[in-house]
Amino acid sequence: MELLKVENLYKVYGKGENEVKAVDGVSFSVPKGQMVAIIGASGSGKSTLLHMIGAVDRPTSGKIYLDGQDVFQQNNRELAIFRRRQVGLIYQFYNLIPVLTAEENITLPIMMDGRKPDKEHLEKTLDMLGLKERRDHLPSQMSGGQQQRVSIGRALFTSPQVILADEPTGNLDSKNSAEIMELFRRSNKELKQTIIIITHDEKIAEQCDRVIVLSDGKIISDEGNSTHGEADSNDEI
Amino acid sequence: MKISGIKYLANQGIENIWKNKMMAFATFCVLLISLLLVGGSALFYFNMNSMILGLGNQNEIAVYLDPATEVLRVQQIQAQLQNMDNVDTVEYISKEEAYNRMQNQIQQGKAIFDYIDSYEFMPDGFKVTVLNNDHIEETTLDIGRIEEVQSASSSPQVAEFLRELRKVVSVIAIAVIIALSAVSMIMISNTTKASVFARREEIQIMKYVGATNSFIRFPFFVEGMVTGFFAGAGAFFITMAVYRSIFRILMEQGTLMRAFGVGSIIPFERIQLWVAIAYLVVGSLVGAVGSVVSTRRHIDV
Repeated sequence: MELLKVENLYKVYGKGENEVKAVDGVSFSVPKGQMVAIIGASGSGKSTLLHMIGAVDRPTSGKIYLDGQDVFQQNNRELAIFRRRQVGLIYQFYNLIPVLTAEENITLPIMMDGRKPDKEHLEKTLDMLGLKERRDHLPSQMSGGQQQRVSIGRALFTSPQVILADEPTGNLDSKNSAEIMELFRRSNKELKQTIIIITHDEKIAEQCDRVIVLSDGKIISDEGNSTHGEADSNDEI
Repeated sequence: MKISGIKYLANQGIENIWKNKMMAFATFCVLLISLLLVGGSALFYFNMNSMILGLGNQNEIAVYLDPATEVLRVQQIQAQLQNMDNVDTVEYISKEEAYNRMQNQIQQGKAIFDYIDSYEFMPDGFKVTVLNNDHIEETTLDIGRIEEVQSASSSPQVAEFLRELRKVVSVIAIAVIIALSAVSMIMISNTTKASVFARREEIQIMKYVGATNSFIRFPFFVEGMVTGFFAGAGAFFITMAVYRSIFRILMEQGTLMRAFGVGSIIPFERIQLWVAIAYLVVGSLVGAVGSVVSTRRHIDV
């Protein structure tokens, strides 16, 4: 079942001679429960593409559909609610609120929704992330790996339709990277979580069901990983 | 938004002041200086205006009655003058007093008084001061219409000069206040922009995790408002201390300064409520709006 559909997407900066096409006519779709890696050199448009899927940046033209809904048909307020409920964003540099504890950072999107976090769900999440002992710590009192786990917890806690991770292991050593990837795999297998990961690291990409390669804003390759038999390659491009 | 949400965001705003104390202090100082500049100029203008009006009130109408007017009628006219619209004070000058004044004024040919044995030929008179110097001419004419009034005269040139002076002072003061307000707005805008810029990452993160614009802005609104309120309070106490000191010094200068209208300076007690309200309202409003406007460029998708 198709969860995400990106249709002829463009993001253009500048005008005339200074025009730069960061994303240049990209189309693909992702079925529910797939774990996709997007790889490419610096400046290939990976992060811009991810930001547009996460509705934190608007495309110049083209459409993005999530669960059949045209994302950018929504007004600013609806887009904020969309980001809060439908997507979970994870960044290389964690992007945690420095003055909030691990637990507060994780429950922030729920609090913004005016809801009280479910205690059982919170305990389970903290347990899965190995953060029970660190729940009252501020980001500055945690290691990089722990901070990234908090940021994954924040993304997972609202049970979003799709997790979007921009170089989630880019700032971590190999041990912590492996732990983070293990978390992604577990949430993908156990919760059927759809995940899109941007990475430079081919080892990370190999662990995904499908690898999309971007160059100069265009998709130059889109293949299923042979080690992940359940993946469907996308032939729409 | 629910009440609990508003309370949470308001608390966030107040906590933010402490967490970002250096930037909050910078905003406080800029707001304080701006309020003092504009508020000080406004108070200076109001006092100049009051002083000029005070000088005008020293402009008098000299009224002389027919010397044959009966004592009872003189008293009636005094009451009639006192009841006129624009009249402030009416001072009676008796025939005897007028005679003595004339004796004092005429030094050469003083011998002429040896041949005068009575002051009965002198007219009774009044020294009339007005409430509004701008209408002294109309008041003079009205007084002149009383049957027993032989002459009523004032100096319209003085009134005209003071009117012009007030116009010039008003134009200059309003121009200075507008210029200072503009400079203040630029200073405040730059400071709040810097304050928000220092926290742009926090704003971005809030946006990424799905905060609505109002959710991001409200704590900045509260923070700006509280900072502005305290800047307003600070400006009020500084103004009060400085104003009272200047007032005391000028009042101690005695009659010479009063001749220049210093006696018309507004005592702080009479205006302190309005000064406090103006400082607190303007400070809070400018602080809140400045902060919220500065967040705009960081939160738009």
